[in-house]
Amino acid sequence: MSVGRTVWLGNPPARQPRPVGPGRERFWWWFMRLSGLALVFLALGHMLIMHVLVQLSGQEVSFAFVTSRWGTPFWRIYDALLLVLALVHGVNGARVVITDLVPRGSVRTLLVGGLGLLAVAWLLLGLFVVVFFNPDQAPAVGPFS
Amino acid sequence: MTFASRLARAQARVVSYRVSWAQLAWFGHRLSGIGVLVYLFIHIVETSMVTLGPTVYDATLGLFRNLPIRLGEIVLMAALVYHSLNGLKVILLDFFPTTTAWYRPLTYGVVIATLTAMIPLSLVMLAPYAPW
Repeated sequence: MSVGRTVWLGNPPARQPRPVGPGRERFWWWFMRLSGLALVFLALGHMLIMHVLVQLSGQEVSFAFVTSRWGTPFWRIYDALLLVLALVHGVNGARVVITDLVPRGSVRTLLVGGLGLLAVAWLLLGLFVVVFFNPDQAPAVGPFS
Repeated sequence: MTFASRLARAQARVVSYRVSWAQLAWFGHRLSGIGVLVYLFIHIVETSMVTLGPTVYDATLGLFRNLPIRLGEIVLMAALVYHSLNGLKVILLDFFPTTTAWYRPLTYGVVIATLTAMIPLSLVMLAPYAPW
């Protein structure tokens, strides 16, 4: 009797075997675990600061808040690191889910390729904002107002 | 009829085989991961509005200041906490294979820790919308 890939919930192994040979999949196996370890502190820390500590100290996230926060290089580096690690970790996870659900073929290639393009575009946008944001050059009145 | 058998009957109506804790933990890990990723894509766009100046950025943030979005943020926080703890469990099982013997208590621990952490976290996050 074969359960597993035939049912939508899937049949997970208790743990993922470590890929033995060198190659792309072995790189991603290590990347997911190492970036995951870093993200436990980076992502949970970010959420704790922005959603809990800001709340507890009676502040509110706003343009002024971001300007003062990104006035120090520490938070720019923190946010850039969080952005790169979280996006690559998440997109690779989504790729693994797609490869599990969609059989090899043109549909899978299209989905994984589209996901990759989306990831590169969003990564560039995010990095551009974190690195080059300059409050003095931001317009006082926005283009949509 | 005990609660456990009642639960087993209810789940038999959804899938015809016995669902193990391993499956649920694994499925929850994927679901929470995809959820956080979707939010991340939205969050990057939202934050890039800061380059368009205070008027646009503060108006964008205003779109997120209501109870339904706040409830969504609490779900996001729960997803992130679960994904983090379950991810740590996966790393532990991967690098120390003997801990596989503790699979079930570890999984229970992750779920209980997530729920416990969410009590104070959701109380703080709900505070501005609470009637008290």
